[in-house]
Amino acid sequence: MPTAEMLSPPLSSRPKSIVEAHGISKQFGDLEVLTNIDFSLAPSEVVCVIGPSGSGKSTLLRCLAFLEPYDHGSVYIDGQLLGYEDRSGKRVRTSEKRVDEVRAPVGMVFQHFHLWPHRTALENVTEALRLVNGMSRRDADVEGMAMLEQVGLADRAGHFPESLSGGQKQRVAIARALAMKPRVMFFDEPTSALDPELVGEVLDVMKKLAADGMTMVIVTHEMGFAAKVADRVIFMDQGRVVESGPPSTLFRQPKSERLNQFLNTWRERHID
Amino acid sequence: MLDIALLWEMRGLILQGLWNTLWICFLGCLLALSLGLVLAALRLANPRLFGYPVACYVEICRGTPLLILLFLLYYGGPSIGLRLDAEIAGVMGIGLYGAGYFAEIYRGGFKSIPKGQLEAARMLGISPWHALIRVQIPQMARLIVPPGTNQLIILVKESALISIISVDDLTKNATTIVNQTFQVIEPYLAVALLYWLIIELIARSGYALEKRLANRQPRQAAQQGATPHANG
Repeated sequence: MPTAEMLSPPLSSRPKSIVEAHGISKQFGDLEVLTNIDFSLAPSEVVCVIGPSGSGKSTLLRCLAFLEPYDHGSVYIDGQLLGYEDRSGKRVRTSEKRVDEVRAPVGMVFQHFHLWPHRTALENVTEALRLVNGMSRRDADVEGMAMLEQVGLADRAGHFPESLSGGQKQRVAIARALAMKPRVMFFDEPTSALDPELVGEVLDVMKKLAADGMTMVIVTHEMGFAAKVADRVIFMDQGRVVESGPPSTLFRQPKSERLNQFLNTWRERHID
Repeated sequence: MLDIALLWEMRGLILQGLWNTLWICFLGCLLALSLGLVLAALRLANPRLFGYPVACYVEICRGTPLLILLFLLYYGGPSIGLRLDAEIAGVMGIGLYGAGYFAEIYRGGFKSIPKGQLEAARMLGISPWHALIRVQIPQMARLIVPPGTNQLIILVKESALISIISVDDLTKNATTIVNQTFQVIEPYLAVALLYWLIIELIARSGYALEKRLANRQPRQAAQQGATPHANG
């Protein structure tokens, strides 16, 4: 549980980041998976988080979204503390409703899509529009179709997830998140569960989003994509940020031995 | 030869027994289905607070015979100020006993929904209540219909035990006819046939529901796959 001394700095002193984290840590039992992570994300910035498996990349993203409550530190979305509140100098968990309110600007795409199998592609996209935004079915369908159009899947609107390819499922998941008009998109290894041939179609959609100015945090193993699309790359290992910077610097002149080793392993695997 | 005339003569008792069995089973099963859902939801919503008490309840239901529960309710009730009609004791006995089993059936259904689907709902701002109604229940329904049907059938068959606490159900009235006429085969064969009909009705309804829920996806997918969505 975060301690009182980690309470938020005054709003005025904070930079205008959409997402900001100070000293967040997370433990699963005795295992410390995140250690004292600082993070900030400016509007329209694209940040890729890379690192070996088990380095804490996905946990970081899940803590930033409060899908995993962080143990120490603080996460702010649009200047509002996520998941906790200050009551008489003591920090306590907020209600789930408050978490939803603070987290509203964030959309998330998961490695395994997590589409609802009993709903069609269009219904997957329109469900939250109707339940959360209170749209009529007709309006939600129009909006949903526009979103599916954006990811090139308007012709699959009536299909259930089981009849879609992995790439199509992930594109529906992106459309579903975009339908809620998020200001930030979190991608948790969006292409890791896909056949190599299907990766491109998902990355193309993400590239287009980046080009349109969407603010994004992407946990990925796609180094080529990170090099081309990211404004900043963060390299994590053993729950810590080892190095971060623009992709041109980070990939060509790694400062740490660990990143050098990680990149060499990646190059060997991909050149051989 | 079977004495069909005897059954015709005793039709009043048989129909009364059938009616009592039907309404007591209906209300008992309704109680079991509802209370089971509440117990499973409590256990999943707050395992720390409700996990142990609900688990104890389930274990007690599974570990004790229905007849003992009926005795406790009907004969033991008055000693703690609980005076129940035999029929009401029957309804409560079937309901409380079945709830333990249904709680486990529901829990299995809830657990079968991948956690990620609920996380996706939460990230879209969908409330836990809406996630339950729109995401969890429609999916778990397909999975729990076969074991649920089975459990309902077991409850109806076990309802014959309420005859022991003097409820005039099918079994008790058949025994009354036997005692009055000294004919054993006809009354018991007749009520066996009626129990079988009730259970067949439940089984067929279960199959139909199972088929309907299972077919929803492919049928719609086939229809909509052939012709893109109206809005598309």
